[in-house]
Amino acid sequence: MAVCIMVIVKENYPFYVRSIPVENELKFHSVVHTSLDLVDEKISAMGKALVDQRGLCPGLLYPTEDYKVYGYVTNSKVKFVTLVDSSNTAHRDNEICSMFWKLHNSYTDVTCNPFPNPGDRIRPRVFDNMVTSLMTQVC
Amino acid sequence: MGVSDTPTLDKHLSRQQETRTPVVAKNKDLLILTYGALVAQLCKDYEKEEDVNKYLDKMGYGIGTRLVEDFLARSSLRRCHSYSEVTHIIAEVAFKMYLGVTPSVTCKNSSRNEFSLILDKTPLSEFVEMLPAGRSSLCYCSLLCGIIRGALEMVHLAADVTFLQDKLKGDSVTEIGITFLKQPEEKKYRWKQ
Repeated sequence: MAVCIMVIVKENYPFYVRSIPVENELKFHSVVHTSLDLVDEKISAMGKALVDQRGLCPGLLYPTEDYKVYGYVTNSKVKFVTLVDSSNTAHRDNEICSMFWKLHNSYTDVTCNPFPNPGDRIRPRVFDNMVTSLMTQVC
Repeated sequence: MGVSDTPTLDKHLSRQQETRTPVVAKNKDLLILTYGALVAQLCKDYEKEEDVNKYLDKMGYGIGTRLVEDFLARSSLRRCHSYSEVTHIIAEVAFKMYLGVTPSVTCKNSSRNEFSLILDKTPLSEFVEMLPAGRSSLCYCSLLCGIIRGALEMVHLAADVTFLQDKLKGDSVTEIGITFLKQPEEKKYRWKQ
């Protein structure tokens, strides 16, 4: 089960954080922060060869003892990072990538909301529900 | 028939051809985003929601008076004989043609001049989840009311069009109420004998 999903905008601050359980949020913040460098490293290593039309999915960034960290970068340099419980069996790259694509689609709907200014940290309901369903589904 | 008639005839025929396969805007995302930007800017320009609602309605009125010509040209409908028919045409033909949705129609009173269009989903507010804080009385789709009112007025039907329920305000559906008003008696001119 995914324990944390974070959306990081171009300016490298978290736009949306969701973690289960909520108490570990601070720990997850530090893990995701350290993984941002890895995301950039993997993306530059992948180069232009594997550019998907939707976004780059470097997949597994690194495994820690408790969690595995997966990342995804959109064309607009928005990064999605998710922490998945290590105790579960290995996930196929395709499953993780399809999860990120769903997140990406939901995120584009959120950005189309005309009222908040870009960069405002909001808690959109539909996005929240989508994240909840993804977090419980990935197992 | 002179040479100059041919271009207008061609345009008329092409409109007729289009009516056989009604064209719904393919990229309606652009329309939705433009409308959202318009409402957001009006909210910044005017402090009171009543003003925003009023100006959206006014803009809609301007659109409606012009859109009805295009609608009548594309749909080639015959004359309607009752208010109920008019409302059904607005719901089943006009809404379908321009917004790609078909609201359901209910009649609210026995004298058959008050109707409701019930929409499960308003296309213009697709990306808006809820109204921003402090803007709870904003009618996001006031433009639609103005459009209907303007269009009806151009076909000599006076009507009052308002939002009765709004999904953005927490109701279960979006309901647009149309009340046809009695026309003032027209003066009949008699030739002087």
